[in-house]
Amino acid sequence: MTLGPSALLPLPVAIPLVFCAVMLATAHLLPGRLPDILATLAALSVAILSGMIAVHAADGPLVYWFGGWEPRDGVHLGIGFGVDAASGWIAAFIGVLYVLTFIFAWGFFDRTHGHFHILMLLFLAAMIGFCFTRDMFNLFVWFEVMSVAAFALTAYHLEKSALSGAINFTVINSLAGFLMLGGIGLIYAQTGSLDFEGIASAVGRGGRDPVVAGAFCLVATALMIKGAIVPFQFWLADAHAVAPSPVSVIFSGAMVSLGLFGLAKVSAVVFAGSDQVQHALPTLLEGLGSITAILGGWMALLQRHMKRMLAFSTISHAGIMLTALGALSPAGTGGMLVYVVGHGLVKGALFMIAGILLATRASIDEIALRGLGRGIGPAGFAMALAGLLLCGLPIGVLDQGTRLVQGALWHQERWIALAAGAIGAGLTGAAVLRATGRIFLGLGPDPGDEGGAPSEDEREKANRPLWVMLGPCCVLLAFDVGLPASLIANATPEAASAFMHQPSVSAKAEGPAWLTWISVALALAGAGYGLFRTRLPKLVIRPLRATQSVPTRALELLHSGLIGDYAAWLAIGVALIASILAVS
Amino acid sequence: MSVVSNILPYAVAVWLFGAGLYGIATSRNLIHLVGCLGVCQSATYVLLLGLGYRWGSIAPIFYDHPPGTPAVDPVMQALVLTDIVVGATLTALLLVLTIQVYKRSGSLDPEKLRPMRARQGSDRAEGSDRGHDGKRTVL
Repeated sequence: MTLGPSALLPLPVAIPLVFCAVMLATAHLLPGRLPDILATLAALSVAILSGMIAVHAADGPLVYWFGGWEPRDGVHLGIGFGVDAASGWIAAFIGVLYVLTFIFAWGFFDRTHGHFHILMLLFLAAMIGFCFTRDMFNLFVWFEVMSVAAFALTAYHLEKSALSGAINFTVINSLAGFLMLGGIGLIYAQTGSLDFEGIASAVGRGGRDPVVAGAFCLVATALMIKGAIVPFQFWLADAHAVAPSPVSVIFSGAMVSLGLFGLAKVSAVVFAGSDQVQHALPTLLEGLGSITAILGGWMALLQRHMKRMLAFSTISHAGIMLTALGALSPAGTGGMLVYVVGHGLVKGALFMIAGILLATRASIDEIALRGLGRGIGPAGFAMALAGLLLCGLPIGVLDQGTRLVQGALWHQERWIALAAGAIGAGLTGAAVLRATGRIFLGLGPDPGDEGGAPSEDEREKANRPLWVMLGPCCVLLAFDVGLPASLIANATPEAASAFMHQPSVSAKAEGPAWLTWISVALALAGAGYGLFRTRLPKLVIRPLRATQSVPTRALELLHSGLIGDYAAWLAIGVALIASILAVS
Repeated sequence: MSVVSNILPYAVAVWLFGAGLYGIATSRNLIHLVGCLGVCQSATYVLLLGLGYRWGSIAPIFYDHPPGTPAVDPVMQALVLTDIVVGATLTALLLVLTIQVYKRSGSLDPEKLRPMRARQGSDRAEGSDRGHDGKRTVL
């Protein structure tokens, strides 16, 4: 085998795994902060290697067959990694997010024997493997490794809430794993291959086949559970709210969007040849995505526990990503990939600010924290900026992604998805800006419906210097604002076409500029209403409050925290997806 | 083979998954719930083995058979083995979490262990009546 750039492919997965093993073997010997340093270095090398791979992959996808088991005569026996430019850049972004998270978490845990870092590196290796693989079963394995690391990290604090949140997360995501495995079994039985390309060609030959549609139903459900799409979103709010804040950064910034990234890859590459699936996808993705975007935004606005609020905001943005996939065009998928990066940067920064508040002000409750943020002004600025970016302030990577997504939807005249995306983004922005105003400016003495939302006090280790925590957060925001737009604009169409295995099209469409301003205006109005409610005339408030209270209570009842309810919703969701596939 | 023996493994798999899911949905004890998750998982074992099975063929070991003898699909068996490993990991992790939950709250009832609930009698009058949403959400 020749040593080309393809030989780099296993390294970003192997390096964190080797670091894991070495650190686990020597855990009790490693002095002081050495695990922090090692973990940061490992993540840094992953980021650099993935970046190099992405640059090489710009000329054409790189493929690596483990053990040299290359396919012969169209028979795929081996397991391969296949990386196109988009997957490479997503992996590099994940590496960068981990580096900054490790710096943010510097000294976060006392006497851990590096277990936190070991789990995080395992998590990292699984995510990169998930991005790189071109084998269905391998995809499942990384999916499960990712899940197991995430379960353990959620429960890391071993407190009551953290444990119940972790159990809900574990049970729902294990069910996702079972569904995915069932789907993989069905598709293998029908096509005799586990390789993406092998399955794709067999599916293309096969014509209409209920088994293929069933397999897609199961795999898509599993990935949507990971991606927290309504009605599978319940676990996310429970898990993100109770996980340690550095872990939440990764969960919201990378893990949830990776579920949708996987869905994009599977639907564009593996099931591209099934007309039945491709006909069902626009309705399915647009419908579920729109509902998710609005429900997540609405729920975010009703929270007082900041991490829970950010968790719902992540649900809303996952919905927007799903509508982008529903466009089924390179423009929509390209926009979604840019959106994943931009959203990860901004949401990561926001979770870091939540961590800063936990560490320096010993609370995470928006109402209890009112006015307490005055001593840490820079964090307030960062949070206000992140809130504005989240709702669509027209600068930075997230905005570029938003405009690409909106452009793709605009040209296909999908008004519902466009409106849902704009409203969802506006609502989540409103929630973040309201919390900023209340915490850092002391506004909004009278809590509205958010006053009755669930909350719980928790603490995180306090004696860390502010700059160690604020630094990575500002770097994330700087990445979002500072990455040159022309670079992304030039690379995206090519990368998206390669990602979807479609011929390159140069048409680059952006949505109308006023649409993002609507989201910003909605966010400012929502935040203003939350903060200055008492000063508004009664005539305005009464009808608004009446519309708020009843749906609010219903929604909060639905998010019951009961695993049994979540399992029932899961069954309903599978039935829904199956029926949409059946009628198309 | 007859239609019944063709359909049976899939019917059993669906039934097992449904039964497990029903168990999870109605469970009032975490250990019972972990068991139900195991039932759901055994549905995947049955499904995969059913898919890979070939009537009238041997196990995929060619030690005392000439190569080329019809054999059942070894890939499916490898998938099932991996699945069993995953299942063992998940069960172990869930049981550890269950033990820790019991140590901290003295209960195994998911109804009493909700992750984060509204504060009772919180800052607003409206908040207080949300405290007794202890009844199950009707689906």
